[in-house]
Amino acid sequence: MIAFAIAGLTFTSCKKEEEETPTATASVGSVSINLEHKWEDEATNFTLNAEYIHPVTNDTLNFTTMKYYISNLKLKKSDGTWWTHPESYFLVDLENESSTKLMMSNVPVGTYTELSYTFGVDSTRNVSGAQTGALSIANNMFWSWNSGYIFLKAEGTSVNSSTGSYSFHLGGFTGTNSILSTKNVVFLSNSTDVVVTGNHESEIHMITFPDKLWNTSGSVSNTNTIHMPGAMAKMMANDFSNGIVFEHVHN
Amino acid sequence: MKLFRSMRLFFSFILVLLLFSCKKDNEIVPVDNFAFRKPSYFPEPHYTFQNNALTRSRFNLGRDLFYDTILSLDNSISCASCHSQTHGFSDHNVAFSAGVNGTLGVRNSPALANLAWYPSFMWDGGVNNIETFSVAPITNPLEMHETIFQVVGKLNANAAYRSKFKAAYDVDSITDQKMLQALGQYMAMLISDDSKYDKYRKGTYTFTADENEGYSLFQSKCASCHTEPLFTDFSFRNNGLDAVFADLGRGLITQEAADNGKFRVPSLRNIQITYPYMHDGRFFTLSQVLDHYSTGIQSSSTLDQSLTSGIPLTADEKLKIIAFLKTLTDYTFMANPDLSEPVH
Repeated sequence: MIAFAIAGLTFTSCKKEEEETPTATASVGSVSINLEHKWEDEATNFTLNAEYIHPVTNDTLNFTTMKYYISNLKLKKSDGTWWTHPESYFLVDLENESSTKLMMSNVPVGTYTELSYTFGVDSTRNVSGAQTGALSIANNMFWSWNSGYIFLKAEGTSVNSSTGSYSFHLGGFTGTNSILSTKNVVFLSNSTDVVVTGNHESEIHMITFPDKLWNTSGSVSNTNTIHMPGAMAKMMANDFSNGIVFEHVHN
Repeated sequence: MKLFRSMRLFFSFILVLLLFSCKKDNEIVPVDNFAFRKPSYFPEPHYTFQNNALTRSRFNLGRDLFYDTILSLDNSISCASCHSQTHGFSDHNVAFSAGVNGTLGVRNSPALANLAWYPSFMWDGGVNNIETFSVAPITNPLEMHETIFQVVGKLNANAAYRSKFKAAYDVDSITDQKMLQALGQYMAMLISDDSKYDKYRKGTYTFTADENEGYSLFQSKCASCHTEPLFTDFSFRNNGLDAVFADLGRGLITQEAADNGKFRVPSLRNIQITYPYMHDGRFFTLSQVLDHYSTGIQSSSTLDQSLTSGIPLTADEKLKIIAFLKTLTDYTFMANPDLSEPVH
């Protein structure tokens, strides 16, 4: 009897102030960003563990790792206001095909004209202590001795490297060495708007070109390893993130 | 009588239950009289337990982890191996500490105290949050040489830890986030505030004549960097140890030449027993340290402005400053059973 009373007491003492009301089925839909990975041009698919010749440096490169963060997705409504995707952190890892699809659910029904996203992880999450999910330190994308996320890891083998391999860990969220960059994609200028309808997934298709990392930074015969923020990391990261292109929307 | 006592116990139990069930994640709520205590003369702490509300079970879990060798590659060393409570949470008076397989580190294991007030960690300030701090020693090949992924796997394979994490954080599966947050709670609770100096501040101890003169000398000659009551201003400075730097220190983090040879001004709490001193443990006595400041300063481009002509000190002044420095020894802290290795 008393035990029941206690149980009741603890339950009632924890009641949330807002009761969740079931959402009407047609009020939200979902939007996905689908990243394809290509080498040099749209005709050449990019995968791990395959050999590619770099169009600028002529290096022969075979990737074993290609991972990078995309975060803080936002969609601009036709009325000019922005919808912000909550807890919006994605680790794109070519070893895991499903990670190339960035899923936003519970997007309010409506027409969206623009997408905003960040390459990397915003400075706040770099200084806010232990995180979870895509930002879990167990993902091995965090510098322990100089706190901060590694925004991009590109590792592999190359006969052009003096060591036979290369390892680029690019990051930096503060000061002149910051490689954080926020990009905006306006749909109308390229294709149609994103139209979210109830219980339906709209797809935004984009293409990433890993070869862009060496667009201006030079051959792996000169530099085969970067493991901290700096000028060259910034050059490579900027070339890479500027090289992500919008393809089309599929409603 | 007996019934009355058990009823009382029962109702305190309900009270605890209620407290637990209603805690919010963003505020410090005392649970079973367990709370963060800020000494009145300390500034506001830097770490506020945001998204990691302090509880007894979380603190206990962090303590278990701090003393557990499970964090290292071959289960040979724990945090406490190099941060021993009886040595002011520094290593056992060695310049460099042994990691797994006996490999030696490259910097002196610092004493831990009052970490909740630290804006950054390590001799070079490279770590920006007490929660992510533990990743560095766990993954450093010269220290625990383990991966976070592996540690989380080992913990999840351990039924006792699974139930402790369930009790502390209500998770069925242990994550690195919860492990790091629990360790953070224990480290943030390493509060040293019961030395003779603290008792003097609280009005329950009177300095001896030597300690008092030493205090005045300290205030005029040392306190601009070793600021009371934490005895550090948390800045990074080149204190003139070398003309040529074997270790770039802060410069490794900022990559600015202007920061080369700079290291964090260390806190002086428990300094008497946390020798050897400096980032490389080169001095074993406080006399050597004061001799360095009075006559041993080496000039270099990044030498701290305040040390260009050293700190002139007579032999008598050195003795008095050392008498004062010994008042920073906190035996209560070093014997506090709540911070000691748990007996299971």
